[in-house]
Amino acid sequence: MISASQRLWRTSPLTYVALVLAALLSIYPFYYMMVIGTRSLDSINDVPPPMTPGGAFGDNFGRVLDNDAANFLTGMMNSIIVSSVVTISVVLTGSLAGFAFAKLRFRGRNILLLAIIVTMMIPTQMGLIPLWGMMQELGWYDSLYAVIVPFLVTGFGVFMMRQYASQAISDELIEAGRVDGASTFRIYWNIVLPALRPAAAVLGLLTFMENWNSFLWPYAILTPENPTLQVSLSFLSYAYYTDYSQVFAATAIGTLPLVLVFILFGRQIIGGIMEGAVKS
Amino acid sequence: MSLSATTAPPSPAPPPPDVAARRRRGSLLNRLDLKYSPYLYIAPFFLIFGIFGLYPMLRTAWMSLHDWDMVGDHTFIGLDNYIELFSDDYFWNALVNTFGMFALSTIPQLLLALFLATLLNRTFLRAKTFFRMAIFVPNVVSVAAVAIVFGMLFQREFGLINWLLSLVGVDQIDWRAHSWSSWTAIATMVNWRWTGYNTLILLAGMQAIPKDLYEAAEIDGAGQWRQFWQITLPMLRPTFLFVVILSTIGGMQLFTEPLLFANGSIIGGNQREYQTLAMYMYEKGIYNLSTAGYGAAVAWAIFMIIVLVSLINFILVRRSAK
Amino acid sequence: MSLTTRRARMAATALAAVLVAGGLAACGNDDDKPAEGEKPAKLVVDTFGEMGYDELVKEYEKQTGIKVELRKTAQLGEYRPKLVRYLATGKGAADVTALEEGILNEFKANPRNWADLTPLVSDHSTEYLPWKWELGKAPDGRLIGLPTDVGSLAVCYRKDLFSAAGLPTERDQVSALWPDWNGFHQTGQKYKQATGKAFIDSITAVSNGVLFQQGSDLFYDKENNIIADSSPAVKAAWETATSMVDISAKASTWSPEWSGGFKQGTFAATFCPSWMLGIVADNSGEANKGKWDVAAVPGGSGNWGGSWLAVPEQSKYPKEAAKLAEFLTNANSQVEAFKLKGPLPTNLEALKNEAFLNYTNEYFSNAPTGKIFGESVANIKPVHLGPKHQAVKENAFEPAMRAFENGQASKDKAWEQFTKDAQTQGAF
Repeated sequence: MISASQRLWRTSPLTYVALVLAALLSIYPFYYMMVIGTRSLDSINDVPPPMTPGGAFGDNFGRVLDNDAANFLTGMMNSIIVSSVVTISVVLTGSLAGFAFAKLRFRGRNILLLAIIVTMMIPTQMGLIPLWGMMQELGWYDSLYAVIVPFLVTGFGVFMMRQYASQAISDELIEAGRVDGASTFRIYWNIVLPALRPAAAVLGLLTFMENWNSFLWPYAILTPENPTLQVSLSFLSYAYYTDYSQVFAATAIGTLPLVLVFILFGRQIIGGIMEGAVKS
Repeated sequence: MSLSATTAPPSPAPPPPDVAARRRRGSLLNRLDLKYSPYLYIAPFFLIFGIFGLYPMLRTAWMSLHDWDMVGDHTFIGLDNYIELFSDDYFWNALVNTFGMFALSTIPQLLLALFLATLLNRTFLRAKTFFRMAIFVPNVVSVAAVAIVFGMLFQREFGLINWLLSLVGVDQIDWRAHSWSSWTAIATMVNWRWTGYNTLILLAGMQAIPKDLYEAAEIDGAGQWRQFWQITLPMLRPTFLFVVILSTIGGMQLFTEPLLFANGSIIGGNQREYQTLAMYMYEKGIYNLSTAGYGAAVAWAIFMIIVLVSLINFILVRRSAK
Repeated sequence: MSLTTRRARMAATALAAVLVAGGLAACGNDDDKPAEGEKPAKLVVDTFGEMGYDELVKEYEKQTGIKVELRKTAQLGEYRPKLVRYLATGKGAADVTALEEGILNEFKANPRNWADLTPLVSDHSTEYLPWKWELGKAPDGRLIGLPTDVGSLAVCYRKDLFSAAGLPTERDQVSALWPDWNGFHQTGQKYKQATGKAFIDSITAVSNGVLFQQGSDLFYDKENNIIADSSPAVKAAWETATSMVDISAKASTWSPEWSGGFKQGTFAATFCPSWMLGIVADNSGEANKGKWDVAAVPGGSGNWGGSWLAVPEQSKYPKEAAKLAEFLTNANSQVEAFKLKGPLPTNLEALKNEAFLNYTNEYFSNAPTGKIFGESVANIKPVHLGPKHQAVKENAFEPAMRAFENGQASKDKAWEQFTKDAQTQGAF
């Protein structure tokens, strides 16, 4: 049924013009990378820059696979493992803690929430050297544990879920669950988590992306034999220059899993919303 | 109806007698659950962060109290590093640069994100998934790749942007040679990469706003603009605050984009036109081995500044709501 | 291997931005301490770029039965922070570690991080370029590095562009155009008059050439006091370089303008240490093959880059590691490495080797680069690089020069900027 409000919010052609423009601006540099990935290296210096893909993709990607130093396929596999595990954990721990901060009353709630926000403000680069030393002690050097465990929780995840939960979930919902005799965890699992789905999908997507593209730390702690995707890409560069045609060809392939994830989460984002949402 | 319909609980009503009885029976367990389970839920964060986040940071604090050579001696000097910061021209220069780029990226970026999120939130938008994906694409690309591409776009002689400007009669701009131009170029990079990201977060927030609020407003005869100002914006406040604080944190730690824009030079421009605080921290703390203690002090100064700016944001957003 | 300034290493960082991290130390030395005299199962070698050791380590494995793991860090910008982390935490360093001349001086400031090689290897002090050998010693006299390669200077020039400007194109005639820097400047002005285009890429490239052929103290005196504002060598480089602003394309090394300039022909000549040849070729592309050639550098030879092999104190097998370093730097190995990847030998015997002297480079019009660079090696005058030489050069000297080149500051103001920054960058 089309209600009056929906008619009011009906989309005008201008909306499409604006969105198409934004989409083009977003995609162009990405497209340009694809162009370079399908051409030979020196085309990067052409004037005017090349506008259409070339035919060298097979050759470029072939060189990626042939590159013993890069271990591209291992890197891809490792990145899938790391990003998936971290994403699941961040979404679960984030929504659990976010729910607690938004909807449960306990002593020290505000100060602890503040503490979490403050943790997000720490400039990360300076802590790396001590952290690296710790990993050596733990024997996690060159192990996927080193790129998974420290990232299983994020202040970002907790804070984001808390903001969303306080806005999306009414106290009545929780109270109703209590009246039914459900334990707090049951309320979380059966009521809160489903209601948080759109935000959880966004958080999941962002977390996956962040870990997929994370470079600094994995590069510090992993070796070429057991890399993540981004670490593997860094071994496609040589002493004085980066072979962009190889890197961009590999980046294109490396982006495919992200597109899949996006479609997966994207559907969740759309599904959770528009018509129903949670009525209070 | 909606997906959430299956999980949506019944509307609250006084508990029937048998339920009340059940609750009394389980009351001890219940009370324990109510009182302590929240701690259980937040424990994983604090546990893992304490080990892998807090400890390295404390160690950095310890370093900042020393004259710390990364591969040599460590001498305790108390707060001298922090005192030195106040009279360090290059620290202040980096501070100004950071705020300049922060303003040029955050403000247009958030306005644009708000605008796009509003468009994407339209009920009858076609090709929703496509637009969402397209707008989010920049965030998929690694920073390094972004910097390479934009480095080419902002090239002095053969760059696309100077070429476009020349069409409207603007002279060739040496983007790396002035503060304003380098800040603009770097802010463009940041905006390109993060607008879509913020759009999605704001969109998720908008979609959580109950639709009947809009329906009620419409019955009262409120137009689109009034609905936006009186429903969307106020309801979006927590999410918006979240996005603002996030941008603040990111903006204050800006590092990779300006570094790559400088072709890897840590001082960011011939006269440090675009060296950020994070770059200065890196220059002192890691690039320059013998001043690691000073670099650690810069790191803590950055931390303090972020806390301060976030606090100001927080107060501003709060106040604007009233 | 032939090396480069830290700027090169920093710039090469493109993918990394992030040098903070790094550290692809493979499972290094985390086993228990070995018993005295026990033969190591494995030695680890850390190198950056391409030093040409791939075949040599296999041969060494065959000879000794000790497994050698070669860890290459592709990008130079990531190598130093990694090494810093190893030394700072006392863990993860390789048994044999390559040190580039910029890195070397900085790490020599804390010599106790490195094993003294004198008691561990035989005396080779007369077999290498004397100045190169001396630089491998720490201030306290301990020998911490065995010489690998040098980066002697030449000029790369575009024959087609020279010809279009009515200049000679044959490499000996071209070299004869510029016996000194004045001649070089005049040639550039002639080129500019004829074509209206810039002659060299940037004035900082010129300053590198001048700086490294002075054969004296640069930013530091022998006691490692900063003498940036009074050093004659520095002043000479500054004056020569800034005078050439009229023929410069203002495309600073490693910038997008620079790499794009090769293909577009924005400049007709640049300064080429031997390791730069590959970069020139890559940036110029297949289409420009055979258009480049190599001529002598004005004012005699100079050195830009070069490395040593050192043994970190934390190595559990210093003795065996030193033997391996000795093997990798001997005359035969240096020739083999040159044939494989091109680093210029520093071993006197290797420099006389036939295979080395007969080598020609196809991309550069078959220029006999072995002979050209080999001859200039002999003429290199050693310079004294202080502990923070690279930092002063890259973060004080060159930025100030570029500020002048771009018209951001007057020459006097730029010099003022340099002398002020040199103090902070050079402090250690």
